[in-house]
Amino acid sequence: MNPILAISLLTTCAFGQGLIPSKLLEPPTDSWPMYNGDYSGRRFSTLKKINDQNVGSMSLAWVYRITAPGGIKATPLVLDGIMYFTVPDHVWAIDARTGREIWHYTWASKGGIHIGNRGVGIYGKWLYFETPDCNLVSLNLKDGKERWHKPICELDQMYFGSTAPLIVKNHVIVGVSGDDLDVPGYIESHNPETGDLEWRWYAHPQPGSEEAKSWPSVESMLHGGGMVWGATTYDPELNLIYFGTGNPQPVIAGKGRIGDNLYTESIVAVNPDTGKLKWWFQPSPHDTHDWDAIQTAVLIDGEINGQKRKLVAQASRNGYFFVLDRATGKNIVTSKFTKANWAKGIDAKGQPIPDEAKYPQTDGALVAPNQAGAANWPPPSFSPDTGLFYINAANAYSVYYIFDDDPKPEGWGGNDRGGFSEGMLQAIDYKTGKIRWSHKWEGPGGPRNGVLSTAGNLVFAGDPSNNFIALNAKTGTALWHANLAQPMSNAPITFEMDGTQYVVVGTGDTMWSFAMNAK
Amino acid sequence: MNPPISYIQKLLLTAAFVSLSLNAQPRTGARQLPDAPARDLVQRVCGATCHGPEIIVGKGMGRDQWLATVNSMVSRGAKIADAEFPQVLDYLVANFPVRAANPGPPRPGGGGLTPGADDHHVVDPTASARGKTVYIAECITCHGVKARGGDGPQGGADLVRSLVVLKDRYGSTVSAFLTKGHPMQSGRPSSGLTSEQTLDLAHYLHDKVGDTLRSGPYNKILNVLTGDAKAGAQYFNGAGGCNQCHSVTGDLKGIGGKYDPPTLQAKFLFPRVVGFGRRPGGAGLSTAKPVTVTVTPANGPAVNGVLDRLDDFNVSLKDSEGEYRSFKRTKDLKVEKHDPYQVHADLLDVYTDKNMHDIVAYLEGLK
Repeated sequence: MNPILAISLLTTCAFGQGLIPSKLLEPPTDSWPMYNGDYSGRRFSTLKKINDQNVGSMSLAWVYRITAPGGIKATPLVLDGIMYFTVPDHVWAIDARTGREIWHYTWASKGGIHIGNRGVGIYGKWLYFETPDCNLVSLNLKDGKERWHKPICELDQMYFGSTAPLIVKNHVIVGVSGDDLDVPGYIESHNPETGDLEWRWYAHPQPGSEEAKSWPSVESMLHGGGMVWGATTYDPELNLIYFGTGNPQPVIAGKGRIGDNLYTESIVAVNPDTGKLKWWFQPSPHDTHDWDAIQTAVLIDGEINGQKRKLVAQASRNGYFFVLDRATGKNIVTSKFTKANWAKGIDAKGQPIPDEAKYPQTDGALVAPNQAGAANWPPPSFSPDTGLFYINAANAYSVYYIFDDDPKPEGWGGNDRGGFSEGMLQAIDYKTGKIRWSHKWEGPGGPRNGVLSTAGNLVFAGDPSNNFIALNAKTGTALWHANLAQPMSNAPITFEMDGTQYVVVGTGDTMWSFAMNAK
Repeated sequence: MNPPISYIQKLLLTAAFVSLSLNAQPRTGARQLPDAPARDLVQRVCGATCHGPEIIVGKGMGRDQWLATVNSMVSRGAKIADAEFPQVLDYLVANFPVRAANPGPPRPGGGGLTPGADDHHVVDPTASARGKTVYIAECITCHGVKARGGDGPQGGADLVRSLVVLKDRYGSTVSAFLTKGHPMQSGRPSSGLTSEQTLDLAHYLHDKVGDTLRSGPYNKILNVLTGDAKAGAQYFNGAGGCNQCHSVTGDLKGIGGKYDPPTLQAKFLFPRVVGFGRRPGGAGLSTAKPVTVTVTPANGPAVNGVLDRLDDFNVSLKDSEGEYRSFKRTKDLKVEKHDPYQVHADLLDVYTDKNMHDIVAYLEGLK
């Protein structure tokens, strides 16, 4: 077929039929069609109508306030001028031009932890989201009516749902959450039409395998945690999805699970059609600090020593920044991006080696970072223009204690107490792991919000004083801000509509839309 | 002199004012906090930014656990003034005590940070105590003291991780399982247990599951008094430089009698996180010293005061007359921040864990 005709057909189809999956392979400009904007997880937009020269004039376009409990942690999706977002048990469709509500869907919950929901996935004319009570729900895009719901986990084992489903080809990929009981983490794929389960990948090796030796027993391994509650990225050429896994169980008291505890605390590459593991790399072997390695595994098409490389990078909750070859999982860079005092070295694979002295202790161990981490779930951003990886980070200390000195602790068995934390936006050179610039945030504590970068030489981020800020992406100089009265609670997005570029961000119960709208 | 208003407190007041004016729409469907003194304060501090009030409403804990929870939230960025700490704590303790046997109606439309199903088995402590006697008589040899399973090939299953227990509601699956027949210590058939006994046993097993949760009763610091007091004194007067600001015969006189050891440990590590547990009859709440600031405009005299808020764009303070002053930050405006606890923050990079425990042992001895 004539390529131009193919593109125009595709565009027409995309408008008329909701979101066709091939649309997801294009860089977003008129839409924000998935959690991270595109499959790379870069949260970088090629839009530059708003840029370092004119951002000072950016102003408010509209405000939308939700009328349900729970803060907006979701990244909104934007398609055909309509914005879709969630809080636990609730989904909204609002007009992206005006902020006017089109529909609001409420799920009648049977329980589960309502700590947050990261948003929806869209395939064709349908939308998908997870509920705290362990369901994957599909709604019609146009009216928010439920099409079907399918179980994805068990409430009685204290799992819950919080992640944003990712559409890869004709798969709806969903992870699960929950670290109260000692249950295994997993990610699974559902058929977008029927909702049927296609495959499930557990965050533990097969009993009897070499990797299974990273656990003292099959029992400890099958109850070893590793929830998949972060965002997933996808390389269509390699046909691999990338994601991180969470903390091992029991969370703090690790003496019943001596070993590295694979595949918890790992960055993994999995085939999206089969759920088969391709490779793994473990940022926190034998974690005892609740440092889930679920931060976005960001795909970078970069250059190392003059050679073009397919890379994947993560700024992990444990304070370390990693760059790997994403075809093989081989380590290229390991560096600290915040204070971290818990490792006694780096092993041959590029993984930090935990220092036993900094394991939680009955009388306490002073550890950096704290449990909230050097970074957490809020997404980072990578700009191919600057070659910088941006992450809202914290230098933090707390004291980790063992509460349960039983030989077979379960659940948590300890926790951290007290704390000191100061936040900053770090711009990391992906080739070296060196901090190119660091923008310290005044004000208490570290910010807990995501980052967006654009071709307009801008980085958007929040500070701990409720400011939403645009910075020069090359230098870290603040260029524009608005104080939004509440801390930013999600990650900003941008898209173009009617020739105008919009920037949208959530704070608690409010969605804010900014634009160059002087006219 | 005016009582010092902490930076955080002022920030709260500012934020509360703005959010009041914005909150024109009613929050329908939100799970409300009970009406009692300090309700609005708790709503503002705990139920506005990171999570809503529904997360609190799902909880039920004792004073120690609420204390630990609030401290933990402060360390994660919850904005609370020193003077507000006891009000918040008292409110949470009074309104969300350890959950009674009957939790009331299930959560309408979800909410809360409580894991598991809304219709979960609610433990009756009396029945659980009876169930414990059944457990000791018939189960403990194989399944262990904490029901976490036994050792070796003869060891019984871990009942805290058992789906038969986790899926159970008031004996529904536990009873069905035992009726089918399961070996017991006495050699009697398990089908011979009465329905009351299996229900009691179910209560006990659910109790054991609850013990492993973060909200369980054993989540507390065991013992931090492991250091060497003599070495602590040396560090205090030597490498740590503590004696440059403090005196054990002056400001720290009798400090070991005022605070329990975990509190002592937390206080010198993180002095800005306040409101720790005290011994009965101990001192009242100490107030963290405020951060002060000196702002010098290009053409004006320097203004000193208690820092109210400092970000990239503005700085505000309360001067010695109690007047609120704010300034736009420019190249020509000099801002100097003075945090009396900066040296404590700097020491976090320096202390070894041994130093930390030695200091606690030393301070604990100062009665």
